[in-house]
Amino acid sequence: MKRLLLLWIPLLFLLYCEDAKYSLDNPFDPENIDLRPPALFFHPPEILTTIDTSIAIELYGLELEPAAAAHLDIRYDWGSVTVDSVIPGPFFSGQNNPMEITVDEQGVLDIYLYYLPDIQSNQSEGGTWSLATVYLSTISTGESELLYGVNTILRDANNDSVRIKDFGKGYISVE
Amino acid sequence: MMLMIRGIIIVHLVSVCIAANTTKKISFETGNKLAVLRFEGDGVSDPLIEHLTEELRQSIRDLKIFNVQNRDITNDIHIFYPRGKDYWACWNKECAVDIGRQLRVNYVIAGNIQKKENNEFFINGRLFSVDMEMMMNEFAMNSSGITDSLLLEMKKMAFNVSGLPIPDTLLVDSDTTGTNVTENIKSKSKFNLPDFPKIPTKIKALMMSTAIPGSGQIWVEKKYPGYGFLGTEATLGLAALIAYYKYNGAWSGFEKNYNAYQDGTDPHDLYELRSKIVKYAEDTRRYNIFMKNIRGVAASIWIVNMVHAYLVAPADDYFDGESFFDIEYRPDINQFQFNYNF
Repeated sequence: MKRLLLLWIPLLFLLYCEDAKYSLDNPFDPENIDLRPPALFFHPPEILTTIDTSIAIELYGLELEPAAAAHLDIRYDWGSVTVDSVIPGPFFSGQNNPMEITVDEQGVLDIYLYYLPDIQSNQSEGGTWSLATVYLSTISTGESELLYGVNTILRDANNDSVRIKDFGKGYISVE
Repeated sequence: MMLMIRGIIIVHLVSVCIAANTTKKISFETGNKLAVLRFEGDGVSDPLIEHLTEELRQSIRDLKIFNVQNRDITNDIHIFYPRGKDYWACWNKECAVDIGRQLRVNYVIAGNIQKKENNEFFINGRLFSVDMEMMMNEFAMNSSGITDSLLLEMKKMAFNVSGLPIPDTLLVDSDTTGTNVTENIKSKSKFNLPDFPKIPTKIKALMMSTAIPGSGQIWVEKKYPGYGFLGTEATLGLAALIAYYKYNGAWSGFEKNYNAYQDGTDPHDLYELRSKIVKYAEDTRRYNIFMKNIRGVAASIWIVNMVHAYLVAPADDYFDGESFFDIEYRPDINQFQFNYNF
């Protein structure tokens, strides 16, 4: 029995292991979106859909610093799509759900998001999270663009603006 | 003046008288130390071999040419018996000289007793000089077992070894001391396997250590180096095994996260997965390098172990220098010499 056990020793040195090879090329990976963080972008960046269809697009933050509130100024082609609803994402979620105010006026969607402080924190932790999800309905064919407007801003608990270096664009193609 | 001359003459006479009454004991004792290694037996029982070897020791001791080392001291050096009773354990010069050095003697006697057919015995002995590293003499005697006893032959051999002529009394004397000869029971194989050529001890030790490091050394009674090699390789093997399990864990984590990354669409999840994938990939690479290093070290030690097993194994008389290859250390040029002969 001992000899049988000893015979395993040579086999231990024959263990073959391959090196891990990988390619981090997922198109939805924020690192592959070609934005300089901290940044805001649309996810997914391109949507191919049909008319009279409801679509969801997330307003995403990439490596954002901690923030307490946000004003997201979204520009869209109001002849192609209409805004159905807006749901806050996890970025401003703590122990309390964030407060959200939406103003939609002819191609300009203003979303105001507020972090509701708790006993642990009065602002979000920051990072790469969705700020909000916008549900749209397509009303005509063609291509339209989604943009972050100039009024887009994030503020921290001290009401100082949070730096955002880059903004992504979104495309909706309705067939 | 005359008185002085008379005095001198008287003193001389007295001196001569005293000298004539003094006897000086003459001895050929050389002061050389000699060890008689236990004879090997073929078809002769162990107790008889022990008895005959001791008889030779005592006979040489009685002749007072050599200072014969006591049996207990001689037997302190364990001689390797690779194949039991049918093998001459220390029959070549290197082995005898090596043991002689360990015993700190000037001469070594090694020999064997073989039982032939019809109760005939063949006694063979060799006298080696440890200082000169050479075989001084070889003695061979036949004993019928009826008219001549083995003990008588051993006495004759003692005279031969001592370089003295065998007295006539021994040539005509017939020592009829009863001896019980027990034949070795040779077990027969149940299977009729063909007779394979004998594997030289060095090659066998090499093969054993190739299969399991240290086993060849242990087999040739070099236990400490053997266990050292075995322990080292076992430790390295254990380290390799642990590294392999660690690698396996990292690889599982890598595969799980990489698959999730490839199928994922959520930027947050992908962002988190990316760092995990990089970490797990780095871990697998690290453990793999560790295992490769262990393999390298283990392989080197393995080769050293194989060479060591070959070197420490005793050379067979029929093998040494006759065939295959041989590695020997030559102290005169302080180098190992590789000899081969096909």
